[in-house]
Amino acid sequence: MVVKIRLARFGRKNSPFYNIVVAHARTARNNKPLEVIGTYDPVPKPDPYDESGRLHKDIKLDSLGIMEPKYRNTEPRTPPVLPREALPQQN
Amino acid sequence: MPPLIPTLPPAASSIIRTSAGTARCVAQLPQQVPIAASFSTTASRPKFSKARRLFRAWERMEGRIYRRPTGDGPQYLAPRGVETVDRPFPLNPHFKSTKVLDDRAREMIWEKIMRGGETIKAVSAEFGIDIRRVAAVVRLKEVEKDWIAKDKPLAKPYAKAVLSMLPKHFIKPNVSNPPFEPINELHVHPYTMQQIFWPTSESRHFTREDAAKAFHPTLLSADKRVPHPELVQMEREVHQGRLLWDASERFKQNVMESERKAAEKQVAKAAYEEKKTTRINTERFEFRFKQFNAENVGLRGRSRNAVGWRYGTPHDDRSKGHQIKIPTSVP
Repeated sequence: MVVKIRLARFGRKNSPFYNIVVAHARTARNNKPLEVIGTYDPVPKPDPYDESGRLHKDIKLDSLGIMEPKYRNTEPRTPPVLPREALPQQN
Repeated sequence: MPPLIPTLPPAASSIIRTSAGTARCVAQLPQQVPIAASFSTTASRPKFSKARRLFRAWERMEGRIYRRPTGDGPQYLAPRGVETVDRPFPLNPHFKSTKVLDDRAREMIWEKIMRGGETIKAVSAEFGIDIRRVAAVVRLKEVEKDWIAKDKPLAKPYAKAVLSMLPKHFIKPNVSNPPFEPINELHVHPYTMQQIFWPTSESRHFTREDAAKAFHPTLLSADKRVPHPELVQMEREVHQGRLLWDASERFKQNVMESERKAAEKQVAKAAYEEKKTTRINTERFEFRFKQFNAENVGLRGRSRNAVGWRYGTPHDDRSKGHQIKIPTSVP
């Protein structure tokens, strides 16, 4: 199965909010993912009490967790060739 | 569309009576207009009920003094010879209007903390005002002064009108004032809401510490959970024979120390957050990447602290009655 890192949209109409998820590529956008590894708030916000007009976007991300070995080999692989004995017997 | 009924054309008389003649007219002029505004033509009956008559009489005699209120505060209705300070509705003794801080009192609190450099806890203990209220007064005064500095218009007439209708609490400078409210009230901790049977020997000195330990091993004693544990300490010292001025000086030092510790904690927390955050500046926005551990999802994978929106749980942000929209913290 191909595994992808992608965004799942939450929030409300006109106020999006995304979970950064690791999910199987062939599942729907908001299906339950393998893992939630972060969030992305696309709405830029000012700091409280800051009047410079400078905006920021908040992103939470487990950037160390992405490097874990369980997600290393996410390329599609050829299925392993099973030995003849392991195949279901057909009479 | 409303039902259509035929009506008369505008007549010379403003009063249109529904009578047999109408039907005749209809037959002649079948005009169609909506019924949306059908006015009652009956004149209102001049009614001077007994209650109103009695009220007028009372208004002319005893109630005369309420016509032009004297003094600064409100003047509540009361039976003759009875002074009521906090009962706006004379027949409802359970409704009490509480006092609010006078503007000069609030100004004095701000002066003491922002100019005099006193601690919030010390001011709270001195005037008998809740710590949270003192902090809120300082915050709002700061906003007010900021607005004045920026020439923003203030709603002064409104504030004046509202304050003139409420009982006020004044603070006199340089004298001891009566407390505004109880300040050392204890929050009822859920751990203390249980009844437990705790056998202990009669000879043992069972203190509040022990009681707290009996409720829960991590629960602090009541002396430590109150907003002003330093006041308890001060009273203890006075009881042990220390002079009052000395004890109060020590109290001031203690609260200064506790506030310094709280501020340090806050700074350390901010530094820790900053350490976890990577800021990347672009032309339009600053992106703030915050590092955290995605594995921290609790035993069942549904911890409240887990990152992101949760799956399979309704988000009650728009359902009625569930959410409290009053902010619970100040950024």
